[in-house]
Amino acid sequence: MPKIIIDGKEVECRAGISVLQAALDAGWNIPHYCYHPGLKVVASCRLCLMEMKMPHPQTREPGWAPKLFPACQTPVRKGMEVRFDSDKVRENQKHVMEYYLLDHPLDCPVCDKAGECHLQDYSEQFGNATSRMVEDKHKNPKKDIGSHTLMYSDRCVLCTRCIRFCDEIAGTGELRKVNRGSRNEIDIFPGEPLENELQGNVVDLCPVGSLISKDFQYKQRVWMLNTARSVSPADSRGSTIWIDYNKQGVHRIRSRYNPQVNEWWISDEARFGWKYINSDKRLNTARIRRGVSWEAVGWEELPGILRDRFASADENATAAVLSPMMSCEEAWLLAKFIRQVAPRATLVRGYVPIEGEDKTFPKGFVIKAEKCPNRGGVEQIIAHFGGNSMDFDEFVKAAGAGRFKAAYVVGGYPKEWITEAHARAISKIEILVAHDLFPSLLDQHVAVQIPTASFAEREGSFVNCDGLLQPFERAISPLEGVKADGQFFHELAGEPGLFRAEKFRVSVAGELEMFAKVHVPPDEPKYAH
Amino acid sequence: MPYERVLMQNVGVPNSTSLQVYKAAGGYQGLVKAFGMKPGEVVDLVRQSNLRGRGGAGFPAGVKWGFLPIDREITYLCVNADESEPPTFCNRITIEHDPHMLLEGILIAGYATGSTVAYIYMRGEFMEQFHVLQKALDEAYQAGYFGKNILGSGYDLECYIHRGAGAYVCGEETGLIESLEGKRGQPRIKPPFPAIEGAFHKPTVVNNVETLACLPHILTRGLDWWLSLGTEASKGPKMYCISGPVNRPGCYEAPLGITVRELIYGDDFGGGMRDGKKVKGVFPGGLSVGVLRGDIFPKPPDGQVDPAKGYDELDCILDFDDPRHYGLLGLGTAAAVVIPEDVDIRDVLLNVTRFYSHESCGQCTQCREGTNWIYRIARRIQSGAGRSYDLDLIAELTENMGMMPGLSICGLPDGAVYPIRTLVQKFRAEFERHIAAQTPDAVAKTIKAINPAAYELPIQEGRALAHVGGSMQEIGDRL
Repeated sequence: MPKIIIDGKEVECRAGISVLQAALDAGWNIPHYCYHPGLKVVASCRLCLMEMKMPHPQTREPGWAPKLFPACQTPVRKGMEVRFDSDKVRENQKHVMEYYLLDHPLDCPVCDKAGECHLQDYSEQFGNATSRMVEDKHKNPKKDIGSHTLMYSDRCVLCTRCIRFCDEIAGTGELRKVNRGSRNEIDIFPGEPLENELQGNVVDLCPVGSLISKDFQYKQRVWMLNTARSVSPADSRGSTIWIDYNKQGVHRIRSRYNPQVNEWWISDEARFGWKYINSDKRLNTARIRRGVSWEAVGWEELPGILRDRFASADENATAAVLSPMMSCEEAWLLAKFIRQVAPRATLVRGYVPIEGEDKTFPKGFVIKAEKCPNRGGVEQIIAHFGGNSMDFDEFVKAAGAGRFKAAYVVGGYPKEWITEAHARAISKIEILVAHDLFPSLLDQHVAVQIPTASFAEREGSFVNCDGLLQPFERAISPLEGVKADGQFFHELAGEPGLFRAEKFRVSVAGELEMFAKVHVPPDEPKYAH
Repeated sequence: MPYERVLMQNVGVPNSTSLQVYKAAGGYQGLVKAFGMKPGEVVDLVRQSNLRGRGGAGFPAGVKWGFLPIDREITYLCVNADESEPPTFCNRITIEHDPHMLLEGILIAGYATGSTVAYIYMRGEFMEQFHVLQKALDEAYQAGYFGKNILGSGYDLECYIHRGAGAYVCGEETGLIESLEGKRGQPRIKPPFPAIEGAFHKPTVVNNVETLACLPHILTRGLDWWLSLGTEASKGPKMYCISGPVNRPGCYEAPLGITVRELIYGDDFGGGMRDGKKVKGVFPGGLSVGVLRGDIFPKPPDGQVDPAKGYDELDCILDFDDPRHYGLLGLGTAAAVVIPEDVDIRDVLLNVTRFYSHESCGQCTQCREGTNWIYRIARRIQSGAGRSYDLDLIAELTENMGMMPGLSICGLPDGAVYPIRTLVQKFRAEFERHIAAQTPDAVAKTIKAINPAAYELPIQEGRALAHVGGSMQEIGDRL
């Protein structure tokens, strides 16, 4: 661990990183645009320039070198001394910030980035209140560059992060710089739009309002948003995400730094694939079948009804299907409930949706074919409870053969998952409880139908494909008429009080080791972006 | 004793581009001599000759070769024939009239550095020259000067000519390498320097055409001959270009160390100004080194150099060091362009700023935005709506660009800063005269027309006043 001196303070840092990263890690607010720890260094924004002590060419006496050095390009060396807190450095920052705004349209009032824009922040912190330019501004065009992305060239600071992302991480290289000098623009090749499965990341990467997500454009001012730490349910990779929400619901999803899993990136599926949580097709009433019609039941009556129904059935012919869309806590509680009412009940590993094959990108980012977040967790819990267990396919077969009389089937998939063959087989179960997000082919056969909450409305934890248990927070309240699954299963299993995922994990950590090893990714340094 | 031309010895000789004529004049003897030595001895010889790079920066070629790592597997030699500095055309003369001298230089440099592949990166506009050089290269290949086991020495060298697409910045060595690799021509961040990691991530030597053309002569004529030419720190012959309204514009060879006055007025060189005009100013080494005052200014009474005083500066010696005393960047390409007395200095500023604004690659913010901002200011000054403050602003902006203060990746903005700054400083009085002669409301009207928002801000003047001061005001007072 080399020690370096920044602004007269000794800082310990990891070996092999740049001075800029060391300073950011240690809490310095150093302006920078082109530097991103996940991308190659180009040292072109010239904002992070610093002064460095160097031996004098003749006397070998160490002193401040007359020129400035880019902190992003200078690796840390043991004992080196640099400073950012000097007139020379500040003078340069002032000039660069003035340059950035020369041709900027200053359209913050209609820009979606306003409020989280580093051009705004740095202008305020390091720049000038006014521009000395009286000449006409260049007006670079606004371009539609891809299915999810708009490019406002006039707001661009040409940090080239988006270009490097497409080259290095996505490996598709759709974006390029065209023209020279101040006519420089970032653009796509004619007829070759930005169409890779990670393209949403360029919007996160853009330090200014140049790359705008079509999905989020003109939806919300960012200062009206709260944010929750969550884990994407899109695939079994368990990419960590921020859910930006307010009282009107979820507005966007951004990637959350997680060095062990997804680093700074998420797939477009995770970023844009959450719209189903606002669908008006979602189930929103708990109800019981009475003959040919439905009767709504209150959530407070449900635990009693379910207990009675399952108690009346043959315990050998009872099953619970634990969906890999459930959190670990929910799966534990449901397994516990079913074993309370029927100690010999079968625990079924729920349906695992697979789409295509795993897709690996050049630098190792993976989009998993397994489109559920928690197969690993559910399997571990079923193994922990022991007794009878089976896979979903076996369950369908057994149900078709009339092996089960009562079953609690949990779904929660964003897409349709019950086929007609499934429905035909499962319909043989007399007491069928379906806990799902959307109406399905099972509906006409179920005795009790319970709506489930979406991932943004629940809290808990998922175990990803690598066995990491990652907690996620609740962002918004469940849809009206829906109860958060954790709380419902908590009551169903007869646990006292309110369900709190963290408290619950602590309470069962002694029984199942997985709950003790919670992986919480570190936050990025405050001034990194 | 009149000086005997060496670099231009075959210029004007009939059929000088053919191998036969070149060999008849003693061609490829330097190569034979080099093959008689060890590569390290050739490097030492070049280091002792203190052959400084002719491309502009004047870095000693032998030292540059010494930066190559010892345990390298492959070395590339890149020949910088992207001659794009505005009034410069000496490489063009070499390629057009004596391509084999360049090829021999390439072979010697390639042998000395252990290069196995040489790329000649040629300016995109050099169409005719490309065909001349390609023909000469084919001829040399046929005669066994390139390819495997050259002249039975066991040394192999392949040579390719690559044509650029016409970007000034590709004359910068890393920009050249990027362009050669087929990427967008923009300079790379350094370190690593090309000697460590250059073309295709392998050690690479980049040398200018004229630098390489000197090598055969160092070998055949010997170190003593070489060291007898030139001034103390600048040795050897140099091809000087002179353009503008002189009687004999063209390229002339002389030992390093002639003065600008000789170049303009000497009978062997420019032959004096056309129509007996006086010189207002001269860019002595390509545009990028900056401007010298001409003889419309009074002669310095004591003959002392002082760029801060408004005296005639034509006594500047064109070697690698003396131009620095006049506030210039260096020798540059030693291609002078003369501004006659009847040219409006505002037009000169506009032309200079337009060039750099157009050629900035757009990587570093200061250069990308700064050069264009200055161009826009120059355009307004030229249109008759300048402010005295604009001159201060231009001078301030030039202080905030360039590789020397560490603010950019390559030297292009340094090359932009020097001509612009020296123009504004040395000809400030003339700018001020033009500004004083404008109609009183010209500035207000123009600014209102082009940018109403800026005009509405009274803060402009306040800031303008606040920013006057520092070095520019002092210079203004002195003038």
